[in-house]
Amino acid sequence: MVGGVAPLLLPRALAARHAFRRGPGRVVFLAVLTAVFWAGCFALFTHVLEYFHTLADFGPLLTQRFLVLLFVTFFGVLLISNTVSALTTFYLAGDVALLFAAPVGTRRLHHARFAETLVSSSWMVLLFGLPAFLAYGVVYGAGPGFYVGTVLTLVPFLVIPAALGVLLTTALVMVFPARRTRDGLLVLVGLLVATGFVLARTLRPERLADPSGLVGFAAFLVGFGGEPSPYVPTTWAAEVLIPLLGAREGEPLFHLALLASTAAMLFLVSAAVVERVFPTAWSRAQEGRVSFGSDRPLARWLRTLTAPLPRTTGLLVAKDLAVFFRDASQWSQLLLLLALIVIYVFNFSVLPVGDDTALGIVLRDVAAFCNLGLAAFVTTAVAVRFVYPMVSLEGRSWWILRSAPLALQRVWWSKFWLGFVPLVLLGEILVAATNHFLGVTHGLTLVFGLTLLPLLAAVVSLGLAFGAAYPRLDTQNAAQIATSFGAIVYMVTCLGLIALVSALEAWPVTRLFWASRAHAPLSRGEIGLVVLCLTSAGLCCALVFLASRRSGVEALRRLQA
Amino acid sequence: MIEIRGLSKQYGPLVAVDDLTLTIERGQLFGFIGRNGAGKTTTIRMMMGLLEPTEGTVCLGGFDIRREPERAKATTGYLPDHPFLYDKLTGLELLRFVGGLYGIERRECEARSQELLYDFALAERAHELVETYSHGMKQRLALAAALIHRPEILVLDEPMVGLDPQGALDFRRLLRRLGETGVTIFISTHSLAVAEEICDRFGILDRGRLMALGDLTELRARAARGPSNGNASDEGDGSSLESVFLRLVGAADGEW
Repeated sequence: MVGGVAPLLLPRALAARHAFRRGPGRVVFLAVLTAVFWAGCFALFTHVLEYFHTLADFGPLLTQRFLVLLFVTFFGVLLISNTVSALTTFYLAGDVALLFAAPVGTRRLHHARFAETLVSSSWMVLLFGLPAFLAYGVVYGAGPGFYVGTVLTLVPFLVIPAALGVLLTTALVMVFPARRTRDGLLVLVGLLVATGFVLARTLRPERLADPSGLVGFAAFLVGFGGEPSPYVPTTWAAEVLIPLLGAREGEPLFHLALLASTAAMLFLVSAAVVERVFPTAWSRAQEGRVSFGSDRPLARWLRTLTAPLPRTTGLLVAKDLAVFFRDASQWSQLLLLLALIVIYVFNFSVLPVGDDTALGIVLRDVAAFCNLGLAAFVTTAVAVRFVYPMVSLEGRSWWILRSAPLALQRVWWSKFWLGFVPLVLLGEILVAATNHFLGVTHGLTLVFGLTLLPLLAAVVSLGLAFGAAYPRLDTQNAAQIATSFGAIVYMVTCLGLIALVSALEAWPVTRLFWASRAHAPLSRGEIGLVVLCLTSAGLCCALVFLASRRSGVEALRRLQA
Repeated sequence: MIEIRGLSKQYGPLVAVDDLTLTIERGQLFGFIGRNGAGKTTTIRMMMGLLEPTEGTVCLGGFDIRREPERAKATTGYLPDHPFLYDKLTGLELLRFVGGLYGIERRECEARSQELLYDFALAERAHELVETYSHGMKQRLALAAALIHRPEILVLDEPMVGLDPQGALDFRRLLRRLGETGVTIFISTHSLAVAEEICDRFGILDRGRLMALGDLTELRARAARGPSNGNASDEGDGSSLESVFLRLVGAADGEW
């Protein structure tokens, strides 16, 4: 038996190196994006901490509470992320069978997979958490001891949720089939993230920029959860750093020792448990679901829903919907989407456009017009996630449609309607709801609503064309497909189209608005120009729709599974 | 029933299939054999319209696959070498779906699906998602899907992979029965013993070229005339398809 964990980690390391070599440009782009995000986070944390620093009486308490809050948040995210990640790395990854069949001891397997779980779950939290710790050090003028202490604290702090995640996953797999566990966890994660988004937005973090808002936040922190429990790792982690910042006296070494010993103990427990139960747990992970014994309710419901459609179109739509709704990763994305829509509408509900002065009315109109572009943008972002991957999600099963006596136009149309109908509903609801909050007239809302129809038809058609031109038949992960090169090109193209249509409609909408305000009818020439502009916008969409439909069908013809 | 004329496929400088011409009559069981990478799957994918040929034509049931793809495909059932199915559909849903694509009337489709699920020993798992099926079960389901519209032509690429001994035996019987009812079967396989048992006629493909065509007697005669690599032991009239194949393609090229 070959010793050491390194050989087991080699495939991942090599895959990462190959990915970097294939696309260094992408890595640089992501690095720049991360740096900008870092700078923003650092500025925000510095701003908040500087304010706390000015409060002589409450300063140390707020520092402590804020740090505890940070660690609690990170711990929660890490625990969920490690549980989901461990399920894949330990029980669902394709290479587990290869390793399990090889003369690799279960303990070595645990150590290698534990390292993978830890890295894949923690890097993002670590990356985005570092500006916060850096801000603490800068604002409190901490010495090198603080930075060394931060690193020493983070290592066991990351190991603890990883070990708990592995233990929790193993327990779940022993009880439920692995696929069911993954589906449940994915939906839970989606739900938690969506709730988090909505809560974060409704707390209105922009108020932190305002001193009176910061006072409210400080008051919230003082009351946050009472005195932190001395028995949890999040408190220990905070207790290591607070004395090192010089905020108050404490026992950093004792708390660091608590953290380190707990992490070491949990790691050993995780290794011992996995070593003991892995063969049974992995075996159970291979098991499928229990038979339903009859038609599934979803299938019956979809058959009824698609009954009015032509036979083949109905079959294709029902098939795509069944595949969509049975994929738990799509549900979690839907939940996130719902959260984003709530936030979007909420943003409009808190816009300060309530007054009826002339300026207020103009601002409201401008906001409504921008809202058309924004609604189209949001809908396009949704199309990137749900329409663009439609062709790729046929995956290696594409041969079934390709070898059937079926015109590709029919496949195209079924996918078009499947994307167009929900997107139109979404877009129209966004425009109607937000215009309602803005107090825009019904006439203008109707114009915007009608404008959205051809625009979204073109957006969906473009999505299918780009999706077929840059297919990713090798993956069933729609989120991964939606972040590929083709998806970015698609998004940029759609933005160009939205900009063009908005530009063509800007003048007629403004003119119509002022004419209605002034109760002055338009001249014949103006009416002609308004019609010309609106027709041009419609024609642009129609041309894009037709050209992309043609190229989409052609790309489908070339598509090989 | 199947007519292939001057079919070629080039990938840059690589010639995967080179000027293949072949006619297979109605009711014939044709074995298409060759080493790995000989061009069998490429040929089949071109036959089914899944891959554009560089040159040449394919007619299935009298319909050109490029000019009248829908009519050509309507007469044909196809099983690819790796039959990926929709994992999130149940076995019964998949058959209903495929049956619908081939235009089978709803009631008939339902009855036919149930019949095939029973024949292929999948009835008990009909309402489970395909993702829970074993490899052999998926293979059987894909075969059932290929047969759902009672095709006149059956194109099978490595159909025995994943079948257990009983499944393989049942499958051989099924093919013979279909052949007797006039179904034309084009089968690509590495299982030469199976091909010898069920096929009437064979085509041997090597490096994209059809190097031999005929029934076993004709192939034996051809092998007796052709260059020997010294590995084949049975050179008489009773030599197996395997030994004939090895003599013809020249195993001296390497063990693999």
